[in-house]
Amino acid sequence: MSANVDAVAASAPGSNLGIAIRRGLTDGAGVVAILYVILFTLYALWDRSALTVSGVTNLSNNAAPLAIAAAGESLVVISKGFDLSVSGIVSLSNVLMATYPVEGPGGALVSLLICLGVGGAIGVLNGILVAILRLQSIAATLGTMIIGQGLALVIMDAPGGTIADWVSYTLTDVLFGIIPVSGLIVLAVVASWLVFRRTDSCIGLFAVGADETAASLSGISVVRARFTAFVGAGLLYGLAGFMLSVQTATGNPTAGTPFLMLTFAAVALGGVSLTGGRGSLVGAVIGAATLMLLQKVLFSGGVSSFYTGIFQGAVMVLAIVLGSFISRLASTGARA
Amino acid sequence: MSGAVCALDVRSVSKSYGATVALQDVSIELQAGEVHALLGENGAGKSTLVKILSGVVKPNVGTMRIGGEPYEPRSIVDARRGGVATAFQELSLVPNLTVAQNLSLPRQAKGSFGLVSSTATQKQGAAILDRFGLRLSPTAIVAGLTLAERQRLEITRAFACKPKVLILDEPTAALAETDWLFGLVRQATAAGVAVLYISHRLAEVRELCQRATVLRNGRSIGTVGLEDATDHTIFEMMVGRGQAEEMQRRATAGHSTRPAVLEAEGLAGGSLKNISLTLREGEILGVAGLEGQGQRALFRALVGLAPLGSGSVRVDGASVRLSGPDVALKTGRGIAFVPEERKTEGIFPALATATNIVLPVVGRIGRAGLVSERLEREAAAGSSSEVDLSPRYLDFRVGDLSGGNQQKAMLARAMQTGAKILLLYDPTRGVDVGTKQSIYAAIRRFAESGGAVLLYSSELPELVHLADRCLVVYGGRIFAQLSRIDINERTLVAALTGHSIQETAA
Repeated sequence: MSANVDAVAASAPGSNLGIAIRRGLTDGAGVVAILYVILFTLYALWDRSALTVSGVTNLSNNAAPLAIAAAGESLVVISKGFDLSVSGIVSLSNVLMATYPVEGPGGALVSLLICLGVGGAIGVLNGILVAILRLQSIAATLGTMIIGQGLALVIMDAPGGTIADWVSYTLTDVLFGIIPVSGLIVLAVVASWLVFRRTDSCIGLFAVGADETAASLSGISVVRARFTAFVGAGLLYGLAGFMLSVQTATGNPTAGTPFLMLTFAAVALGGVSLTGGRGSLVGAVIGAATLMLLQKVLFSGGVSSFYTGIFQGAVMVLAIVLGSFISRLASTGARA
Repeated sequence: MSGAVCALDVRSVSKSYGATVALQDVSIELQAGEVHALLGENGAGKSTLVKILSGVVKPNVGTMRIGGEPYEPRSIVDARRGGVATAFQELSLVPNLTVAQNLSLPRQAKGSFGLVSSTATQKQGAAILDRFGLRLSPTAIVAGLTLAERQRLEITRAFACKPKVLILDEPTAALAETDWLFGLVRQATAAGVAVLYISHRLAEVRELCQRATVLRNGRSIGTVGLEDATDHTIFEMMVGRGQAEEMQRRATAGHSTRPAVLEAEGLAGGSLKNISLTLREGEILGVAGLEGQGQRALFRALVGLAPLGSGSVRVDGASVRLSGPDVALKTGRGIAFVPEERKTEGIFPALATATNIVLPVVGRIGRAGLVSERLEREAAAGSSSEVDLSPRYLDFRVGDLSGGNQQKAMLARAMQTGAKILLLYDPTRGVDVGTKQSIYAAIRRFAESGGAVLLYSSELPELVHLADRCLVVYGGRIFAQLSRIDINERTLVAALTGHSIQETAA
């Protein structure tokens, strides 16, 4: 409900800080942000390199692909839908980049456009299937996911290929010796969300997610809102695939498979309601970052990587329980 | 009136959904500055007309004009542009947005760079709230408002569109007092706005409206000046004169001495305020009520689907606790419930009709714990003949049957259970005339053979036709109790709308 947070904060700057904080917490993004800070502190205590530029860059590079993919997923989830095509799009972008590496800044741009093109095209297809033909979003995007994965295997039947050196080197590097490039790209996604949040389309997204009938009787085009969500999501998955390739520097036709579960985990962890109409892209991004950070913390804490899944799942359930507890507390408080 | 240009002129509009005709040849004229009532029973076609006028649904035939100009709205926004705004009965507010955001949907106020400015939206919203005398915070989230507040907001939003034609669909359903609304309506009409006003409450309509157009079964029956029309005339237009009189039925007494099989005492909880009733052996007890007066909760409470706040239920004289339909079925002589939503609550569309019918007793007809298709079919054939369902349907998937035959199958299933108390909730909704007759006959046979039936129907002729006694529920209470001799549509309609019986029955 980020649109509301911002409405309240703007209505009485300063004086309604309490309400703003409460909204932030009930939003879900607040809970996961606190969680992230706690985990990061733990990580820094165990591993002093966490606070160095290379430590932060490492974290950022690690988290960027999932964070951007989760950002895309949050758009669809907010409008009350599910988009499974993420793993198809990420795999497809990855193998395309590894099969046709192009060097130099121009090459990076060409590769990026290819990834966005793939993601956008599948997003449009999803939009047509779900928004216009009104198919169930899980079924339709399951189909497009399988198509994407299938295409990836046709292009590259086994892990291999290389990403252009310039691209993979520059985009995992730091700018001015301190700012990770991947972090900047995630920030750009967040900044676009902050702008998008202040458009009628975004308010339409939230409205459709909460109550489709009421939204349409209020004059909102449900078709356009859904379509926007899927195309936006597709583009972001393309970008996620691009960032993943940059980081792994190689191609793998099943590179996107782990993204399917992890994006949903990140979205849920970030306080985006899977029943639609509530949450924020920022929450999903922090949720993704938290999941990736957790891996690092466990690793530096000496926990075998076999246990990672157990911890990720437990943290996710905990965050959701906490989030729903706080929002219940806040709503009874508001009613009293 | 012929010379003047009408504010809204609807000519011969028809709309059908597949084979179901919702509106046929409906015409209505609104003058500028007039409050025009649209009257009719549930299902008479009012909502469809509202949807057509608001641009939600396109008519199949017919023309509409606003101020003489052709009016063919393609969407809500288009309708607003054409000068028509609607406050919907089911309320069209988006729950997770603020009051101010809802007021300015679908386009929020913009600040710099063409981006939505929440400050400007709030200011705009506050101004609207102020202008229409609504004491709400523009930043409040709609989900946190009471129903009455939401209703006011819905109305305000329609007014704020500055329409030439304003449609108010049951605007007072959740309002305790009407002064605020009526004040606004009078202000608007003084400025030349035409208002189409839909309400079940005739007293309200008389206070506010000048003329009324009556719909019945999807047709416009006529338009009357409310000054000259008596309540009688209007009721007769709503339910049909011929029907209203021929349905006078002989009084067959004698039930009062038979044993009570189902007694409820002071049921309350949810939308039920206080309901007591006694159902006797061999009796068909009718329940009448406008939508949402507690009848649904009553039926669900009696089979344990809805929790009771307080009150007690006795079956065959013994006090019982009904915790679910399965328990109800085994209590005393058995209570079986046929719900209204057969698609979602009743049938299993993918199973055969025979399987659907025997489902509740499937354990009894098997052999060695296994279900035999032949035995199943035989058992189903017995009860399907009771409801006049042709045996050739038994092997079809019930989802492929017509609505009427599905309903017969539901009834057969209830009878198959062997329960002697049937709770029927609108058993003929969406069913054709012929099927209705077979369903009526089945219900009557069931009662004559010693069963007891509690029957809610949204169609009054049905209650007049079948019920030995009739309860009228209003606001979660029993508003009136009619004995058979008093059951006719006029008294029922009067009681439904909250009029005392003596007034109109005289």
